[in-house]
Formats: sequence, structure tokens, C-alpha cells
Amino acid sequence: MRTFRRGLLVGLLAVLVGVVVRVRAKGRIVPRTSGGWRELEGPDFR
Amino acid sequence: MSSVLLVGAGATGARAARQLVDTQRVTRIVVADREPARAAALADALGAAADTTPLDQPFPEGIDAVASAVPARAGALVAQRAIDVGVPVAAVADDRDGVAALLALDGAAREAGVLVAAGCGLVPGLGDVLARHAADALDRPDEAHVARVGAAGPACIAALRRARHEPALEWADDAWHVPDRRGHQLVWFPDPVGARECEIVAPGVELLREAVPELERASVRVGEVPVRRSAVALVRRKPLDDGWAGARVEVWGWRDGGRDAVVYGVIERPAVAAGTVLAVTAAALAGALADVEWRTPHPKGAQGLGAVVDPTTFLAELARRGVKAAVFEGFAVA
Repeated sequence: MRTFRRGLLVGLLAVLVGVVVRVRAKGRIVPRTSGGWRELEGPDFR
Repeated sequence: MSSVLLVGAGATGARAARQLVDTQRVTRIVVADREPARAAALADALGAAADTTPLDQPFPEGIDAVASAVPARAGALVAQRAIDVGVPVAAVADDRDGVAALLALDGAAREAGVLVAAGCGLVPGLGDVLARHAADALDRPDEAHVARVGAAGPACIAALRRARHEPALEWADDAWHVPDRRGHQLVWFPDPVGARECEIVAPGVELLREAVPELERASVRVGEVPVRRSAVALVRRKPLDDGWAGARVEVWGWRDGGRDAVVYGVIERPAVAAGTVLAVTAAALAGALADVEWRTPHPKGAQGLGAVVDPTTFLAELARRGVKAAVFEGFAVA
């Protein structure tokens, strides 16, 4: 019974720690590019 | 003067209806929906050119084309009824079962001598047309990757959610593969969408390959399912939906003896993009848009939009209606 309680406590603590220390990526890695977007116009439709 | 039957009065259907009303040579729009009150409300908003018909009744006389804005297999049932009366169909379809059900009508459509244009939305749909346009700019295209973010209405969101849970599919080395999902890939869309993490999925890749049969590699990716409730956004730590949809089409190949890529992107409100693509296709099928041409004269059978429509005239018509694609001009430096 004592071992079971300890196990339960350890499991509970693990869940709590997991919830608190939920590691998620923050922000985005922006690819380094040169240039930009240009709207398609008349010559592009020929 | 043409008549179009619009089936489905949801987010995409309503936008398609507005585009059809704004098409000079479309003089009559008949709206059908599983909820008669919704069809009546849309017809009232459109004015004198529109009326309604019950969905379970035979199609009205004098219809020149059907625009189907209903999800998945319901679209195939609508298409089958149109084939039975010899009327061409433009249908949105953004899940794999829906596309397959539409393409399965190929034999019946050819026998009836009508076209079933499958996947007339953003992706599948406009993405395939842009891929064909990009492929035409290269001497020998061999690789295409399409990505999409955003969703129009609840049915579209449900299809997007299913796509992200079902096994993915990609075309590589002349065979279909079920790729391992190794996490998201950052895809760069035009502003204001910017960079989004997208996951490889199955829906749409078959139509992409049909639009550009020369491809040796093809894939379709989708962004996260839009979150539209602030409580859900808070709990799941996701950003609230900003209301934009985007498609990015990257086609690689050979040009002037060197390796080259053509990258197109489009940003629009999701229902506006899908509705405009659907309406332009249906109006062209009804003979109301003489400027929009087909890749082959009098196409028939069940085929993807990108395989049948001439990309330059189609994109020019979309641009006239405010759905403008952009080309990326630049290069990666790292």
C-alpha cells in the first residue's frame, strides 16, 4: 500500500511537472530569402 | 444568356452566387439547398435574377450548368443527377472521398458528353490551375508542391480536420507513396498570412498530378485547422483564425538548360476564393464567359479543374474579379 501511494504520488508529480513545463516552440524560423511577391498582370496571362 | 443551378447555399455557395449574379451573361440563377429557408434567403438577397428549387425535385428546365457547393459525396450525387440530364457540372471537393466519387463518374460523363470539373475551390482547384500555369513556364517540369491554409465554412473545416488525421499521400518516382508524417514544414505565403506550418496530406494530390502529368514528385500540404472560438484558442494555445486563406504553388523543373522554380501564391478570404473559382468555372461551362478557354475543345468526362481549363485565361478572369495570384521573384540565400 505504501509503495502504491508513493507510485501514485510520483505519477501525479510527473503529470504536474509535465503540465507546467510544457515545452513548445515559440516563434518561427524565418527563411532567409531575397525578393518578394509581385501580382500577376497582363503579360503573365499571355 | 445562361442559367446556372447552384446547389448549396453555405459560405462558398453564397459567394459563388454573388459572382454569378455579377456575370453579365448569366441571367438566371436557381438556388437549391437541403435547408429551403437558407436557399430562399440567398435567392432573396440576389434579387430578381434568382429563384429557388427544392433539392429533392428534378432539375429545372433550361439549366446550362450546375455549380455544386456541397461537401464530399453529396457533390457526386448532384453531379450524377446533372449527368443524367446532360448538364455540365463544376463541383467543389476538398476531401479524398469526395474527389474520388466525382472522378468515378468519368465513364458516365463521357457517355453523356458532359464535363464534370472536380475540385473547383482553392486547393484543389485554383492551386492546380496555378501549378499548370507554372509548369507551362518551364521547359520540363518535374516536381510540384502545393500548400494551403484557411477554410471557408464548417464543412470545409471538417474536411481539413479529416485530411490531417487520415494517411497522407505523395507522388514520387512514378508511384504513390504513403509518407511518414515527420512533422510540419514551414511554408511561406504572401502577406498577410506569412509563414505557416503545414502538414502533408492526401486530398488534392491526385488532381495536382492530373493537372501536370509530367511530374515525378508531387505533394499537397495544409496548415492547421483554423480556430474560431477564443476559448478554444486559449486552452489549446493556438492563434485565433485571422480569416485569410492562402495557397502556395511551387513547381520545379528545367528551363534554358538549368534547374529553376516557379512559385505562385494567392491570398483571399476562403469563401471568396472558392466561390469565385466555382462561379467562373460554372459560368464558363454554361457558355457565359467567352474569354475563358479550355485546354481541349469540348472537354468531357470527370476531370480536375487544372487538367481542363486554360490557365492564362482562367487566371485573367479571376484577376478581373479581384482574386489575384502573385509570383515570388527572388531566391533563398541560406
